[in-house]
This record gives sequence, C-alpha cells and structure tokens, in this order.
Amino acid sequence: MTRVRIPARALLKMETQETKKNFSRWYDENYKKILILPLILLVISLAYLVYFYKDNGDFIHKDVSLSGGTSITVQNVTQEQVDSVLRQEFPDVSFTKISDLASGREIALIIETAASPEEIVPAIENILGFALTDENSTVEFTGSSLSNSFYKQLIIALIISFVLMSIVIFVLFKSFVPSIAVIFAAFADIVIPLAFLDILGVKISAAGIAAFLMLIGYSVDTDILLTSRALKSSEDSLNERIYRAFKTGIFMTLTALVAVLPAFFLVTGLPHSFRQIFLILSVGLFVDILNTWLTNASIIKWYANKKGIK
Amino acid sequence: MKLSLRVWILIIALLLAILAIAPWSSLKKGVLVEGVESGSPALEAGIKSGMIILGVDGKKIENIQDYSKVISEKSRLNGSQKTIFETSEGEFIVFSNESIGVTVSSLPKSNIKTGLDLSGGSRAIIKAKDRELTSSDVNDLVQILENRFNAFGIADVTISPVSDLDGANFVLVEIAGATPQDLKNLISQQGKFEAKIGNETVFIGGEKDIASVCRNDATCAGIESCSQASDGTHFCNFRFSIYLSEAAAKRHAEITSELTVNATPQGNYLSEKLDLYLDDNLVDSLLISEGLKGRETTQISISGSGQGGDRQEAITNSEDEMHNLQTILITGSLPYQLEVVKLDSLSPSLGREFTRNIVVLGLLVFVIISVLLFVKYRKMKITLAVILTMLSEATLTLGIAALISWNLDAPSIAGIIVGMGTGVNDQIVIIDESVSNKRITLKERIKRALFIIFGAFFTIVAAMLPLFWVGAGMLKGFALTTIISVTVGILITRPAFADIIKKIEE
Repeated sequence: MTRVRIPARALLKMETQETKKNFSRWYDENYKKILILPLILLVISLAYLVYFYKDNGDFIHKDVSLSGGTSITVQNVTQEQVDSVLRQEFPDVSFTKISDLASGREIALIIETAASPEEIVPAIENILGFALTDENSTVEFTGSSLSNSFYKQLIIALIISFVLMSIVIFVLFKSFVPSIAVIFAAFADIVIPLAFLDILGVKISAAGIAAFLMLIGYSVDTDILLTSRALKSSEDSLNERIYRAFKTGIFMTLTALVAVLPAFFLVTGLPHSFRQIFLILSVGLFVDILNTWLTNASIIKWYANKKGIK
Repeated sequence: MKLSLRVWILIIALLLAILAIAPWSSLKKGVLVEGVESGSPALEAGIKSGMIILGVDGKKIENIQDYSKVISEKSRLNGSQKTIFETSEGEFIVFSNESIGVTVSSLPKSNIKTGLDLSGGSRAIIKAKDRELTSSDVNDLVQILENRFNAFGIADVTISPVSDLDGANFVLVEIAGATPQDLKNLISQQGKFEAKIGNETVFIGGEKDIASVCRNDATCAGIESCSQASDGTHFCNFRFSIYLSEAAAKRHAEITSELTVNATPQGNYLSEKLDLYLDDNLVDSLLISEGLKGRETTQISISGSGQGGDRQEAITNSEDEMHNLQTILITGSLPYQLEVVKLDSLSPSLGREFTRNIVVLGLLVFVIISVLLFVKYRKMKITLAVILTMLSEATLTLGIAALISWNLDAPSIAGIIVGMGTGVNDQIVIIDESVSNKRITLKERIKRALFIIFGAFFTIVAAMLPLFWVGAGMLKGFALTTIISVTVGILITRPAFADIIKKIEE
C-alpha cells in the first residue's frame, strides 16, 4: 500500500495561506467596523475622565510629589505595625510595600501623607519605638507651592511634547489624513491608559507624567512603520503590506513590553519613580497595540482605498 | 573580514566610552579625601579635597577600613599628635590636638556617578519666603550657603541655582552620603544674630564684627555641665569664646561706658545685660561684670544649652546647637527668610538595595530580549548582532554620562533601558525590511528602514525635550539619557548595524 505523505510543514503552509486569504477577505469587508471598537474604548475613557474630573477636581490621582506632602520609606517595617495607629492621627495616610526581588521578603514600606515630616516622623517613631535615621529610612518632602507649579509645568510640557510630536509627524508624511491618524492614535494612547490608571486608583508621580511624555514619542514608531509601509506601493497588495507591518510592529511592541513589564510585575524592590515609569509605559504600549493595528490601520486602509493606492 | 568605516567608528566610540567609564578604577588602592574642614590642622598642612590617601604614618591604606583603623588607634592617644599622610600628591605632615579635619570616602569604582536616590544623600530646594529671587539673588545665596556648609564642615555638597518653566529661581542643595543633623536649619535658618545692650546693637554675626570663633579647641569651646530636670529630661550647657573685631569692641566700650553699676549679692554688674538674639528670638542674656565698663573687650563668651531624653542625647544635641550657632556667627545671616520647598533625605542602604535590583532587572530584560530575538529569527548571527548593538548603546550612553559627570538617578536609568528598547525596535525594522520584499534593492530597503527609524527618533526627541525645563530640572536625567541613547543609536550604532546586516545578508 502506498501512502501519499504530505510533509507537515507544507500542510501548515497551505493552511496558513488559506487562513490568510480568508482573513484578507474578512478584513476588506470589516475594517471600517473594526474602528468602532477602539473608538468605543476611547469614548468610555474620555467620559470616565470627565466624570473623574467632576469628582476630584483633576484628571489624575496625584501622589505627594505633585500634591505636596511627605513620603517616607522605612526599612524592615510592615504595614500592620503602623497602619491603624497612624490612620487615627493622619486619616489621609497611604501605604505601598516594597519587596525584595529574589526572596519576596518585604524590605520596606512607603508611607505617604499630606502632612509635613515634622508632624509624621515623630508619630512613626513613637509607634516603632526607634528613631528614623538616614540609614533606615528615606524621607521625601515636597512643599505644596513647589508641587503645584511642578504639576502645572508638567502638564504644559505634556502639551508641548504632543504638539512637537505632531509637527514631526506632519513633516514626515506631508499629507493630512495619515498624519492625523497617527496623532489621533497617540492621543488615544494617552487618554485610555490615563483612565485605566484612574480606575485602578494609581497615584501618579512627577516621574509618571514624564513617562506619559515618553509614551508620546515611544508609541508612534509602530504608527510610522505602518503608515510608511502601507502607503509606499509595491507589488504586494495593501493587505499584505499592512500584515507585514503588523508582523514587524507587534514584535517591536512585544520586545518593548518584555523590556518594561518585568520591572513592574517581577520586581517591586525598585525606586518608586522607576516602577511608575515602567507601569505607565507597559499600559501605554499595550493600549498602543489596539490603537495602531485597529484604529490607525483601518484609517490608513480607508485612505489608501480612497486614494487608489494599491 | 573587511570592516566598513561605520563599524570602525562604532568600535572607536566604544573604546572611548570604556575609557570614559574607567571600570578599572575599582582596582585602585587608597581612600579619597572628600573634604577638609576650614581652619583645621589638615587644611593648614596643605591637604585638599580630591587627593587620594595612600598611607598614614608609613602604614599602607588600601581601603576605608584600613584608614579608620589607623585613625581610631591614633585618636586614643592623648596630647598633640604628628601624622604623616602619604597622598597621590606627595607627603603631608599634620600636627593636631583633636580632630585632623579630614573626611574621606572609598575611591569610586568607576567614573559612573549614581544619583542621590541610588547612592543615598540629601537634597533640598529652597526659595525666598514671600519674594521672587532674581538670578543675582540666587548667585549670592549660593555663595552664602557654600560658606555656611564649609564652616559647618560639610564638604561634599553641591549648591546650584536652578530655574523652572515659570522663570522662578531656586537654589538646589545636594549632599552625598549621610544627611547632616539639622539640615533644614542649616539651609533655611536666616541666622540673623544680634548682640544688644538695651536697644543698641553691639555686634552681629558675620566677619565684619566677629574676628574669629573658637571651635574644636577644648580650652575655649565645649560642653560645660549637664544636669537632670525634675521631669527626667537632661540638659547640657555649652560655652565657647568669640573674638570681636576692633570696631565692635569699640562699640562695646562706648555703650557700656554709659551704664551704671548695680551691686548684687553675687557681685557688681552693669545695669543692662548683653542680650543675644537669633532671628529676633532672645537666646541668652549675659550679665556684664563691673570691670568691663567702658573697656574695649574683644573676647566674649557665648553660652547656650541643649536637652535630650538621656545624658548622651543631651550632649549630642547641645553640641549640635553649639555647632549651629558657631556656623551662624562665622558666616553671618542670609539677606532674607528662606522657605524649604523640597527636602529629601535618601537612605544609602535602601539606595544600595535599589541599585542591586536595577542591575538584576537590567540583566533579566537583556536575557529575555535575547531569547525572544533568537526564537523569532532563529539565526545566531542576527541575534548576536542585535545583542551587541544593544550593549554598545548602553555602553556609549554610560560613557557620555561619565564624560559629562552626569549623576544617574533612577529615572535616568529607566531612560537608558527604554533607549535600549527603541534600539532593539529599530534593529527589528532594519532586519525585517532587509529580509523581506526582495523585489526592490537592498539599498532601497535599508533606506526605507532608515526613514522609519529617523521618524521614530525625531518623535521621541521632540516628546522628551520639554522635560529639560520642567520643575527645577528634577526630571532632566530621564530626558537626557533617553535622548543621548537614541542619538548614539541613530548616529553610531544603527549605521554600523545596517552594514553588519548587509554583510550577513550577502
């Protein structure tokens, strides 16, 4: 009996080509509808931010570096030791644990309050029964006048940063719709993570806002890749080019994500500023996958179809 | 294999970067002189900060432990001491009674400097209360504060003027290592010292009226007595002498000559006391003995006290008080009241923990990315090329940071890691462009890749640029390292990498 043996690899190739064709057909029919998904997400996020603003008078939960107050990191102290007693005197107090990377052991506790160090340090010393020195603790105080102007300036910087990025994009592409598509995706890359962090209740520090600035620059590289590949015609079809851009781009985002994710998930024994930067970049990069490959890709395809770019 | 010009540029740049970082510094022996107290025996002998102590009294000093061992052994001996310091700049002989007046630290392991959040230390941002500082105000203030720290004996301090987007001026004070006791007072206390008899000022703090202040000399400065109050707290009294200038002494003579003498059971004193005010608060009132009436006295004894829960604490506190008062008397007062708007004291041990974790994290990220690249491309050559360029970029960025003496804080290192991330991204673009779409020439493909890379470069630079001017430069490091790292990427490593890929593809 003779058997026809088709190598597994060839079989897989035939299947993937079939799937690809099917997908391409489906994509041609539905790409405009796909746009709705990220749009809904953006609208919900914007609505939440407006609601949040009404409730809190601001778009974010500010940490003490932006609202003014004291942040104390004490080594070898657990939250249980100080929580209840401290809360009686300082109702606004909040805690964050820092653990060691290798052992998971709690190495320190961050205590934040709007009170000044002169008020809270003696209270903590009373509870712990030992003095806070620079060997066992870090005390950071930001006066409210500085933090207010700091916050205001960071917001201005964020806007300038966005405008500068937009100018670069316009110079790069020299056409309106593709540029606006990129800028729109970058906008969503900021708004959606912002709403997400608000829902999680993350307090954002000065370094965190700096991370948003970086996100503006960091997230558009996949958009540039997509736009430049999709609009430069070659013998491949438009879908083929978008798909190739997607393959490269998603790998780029993936490597960027693995570069920033461990900092947040595996390691908590890192400076607060460091963790915050990486948290915001991870959320932002994740959201950027949607905004680039759903929003921006659909707009570009639409535009290319209209312009007759094959 | 013939290397192209771009690859040579990369190799040379890398060598220069390693030269700038100087990682072999850790092999050097000795301790670094961090500071020399003003008026100390060491200063008189000619020892300056920045020198490296190689030996003391013929004993070799290899590290800080050796040094403290030798010095603590010496300090147990009484009386005048002769110490021979062998330094990088020759031999110095110091004769001292008490403290030699030198603070030392370990030699740096390399030229890379870490920021206060990773090395420990304290940082303060100050501004004037109820007024805006002009830039000349700020420069004066920097000068006065430098004198004050110098007089206090803190050498490793950087005081610099900073401004923000709103045009407001601040003074930034950064102190490496341990946080000085009472730092807040040291920087923000106006320190207006006045000695008055009745309503007339006899002398004020500062060099105009005060010729010298006795310090570090047990014969004219020190703790006098300690006692315990009924509530259990301990008190210690300190006393030190100051020497008035001629003009101030004359003033003292004129004012006292008009006073009358009161007879008391303890002796005969003048009708008014010498009242000492610090920032308009009365700190002490001294009786003036009959013999001083109308006399040009140059030596005046200043006293005060400190308290604490136990005797040792009381002694430490009154020593601090004395030190503080001496500093103010030497340096005079600040021209206006100051407000501390930011004050951080950052734990060195926590900083060490953070540094260790960041290094572990860096290695982890590096390994994950390498594995990911290998899984995707399945080519050892390409994976290695990406890894090597990633390493080169980090090395070049660190080299530039070392060259400009930039203190790398946590955000700066985050910037380097993100910079490495963009580097990898760009390389993925180059690889994907070069291996696919073979219908157009390789040159054209690389050109297209470079378009994307340059676009990404300009957007990230544009996005990070505004951070340079925000909030007294607190986030400058983040923007700086990111921009340096993407710039070396675009100018040096990316062109070299494109050539290497061309070689591999051919």
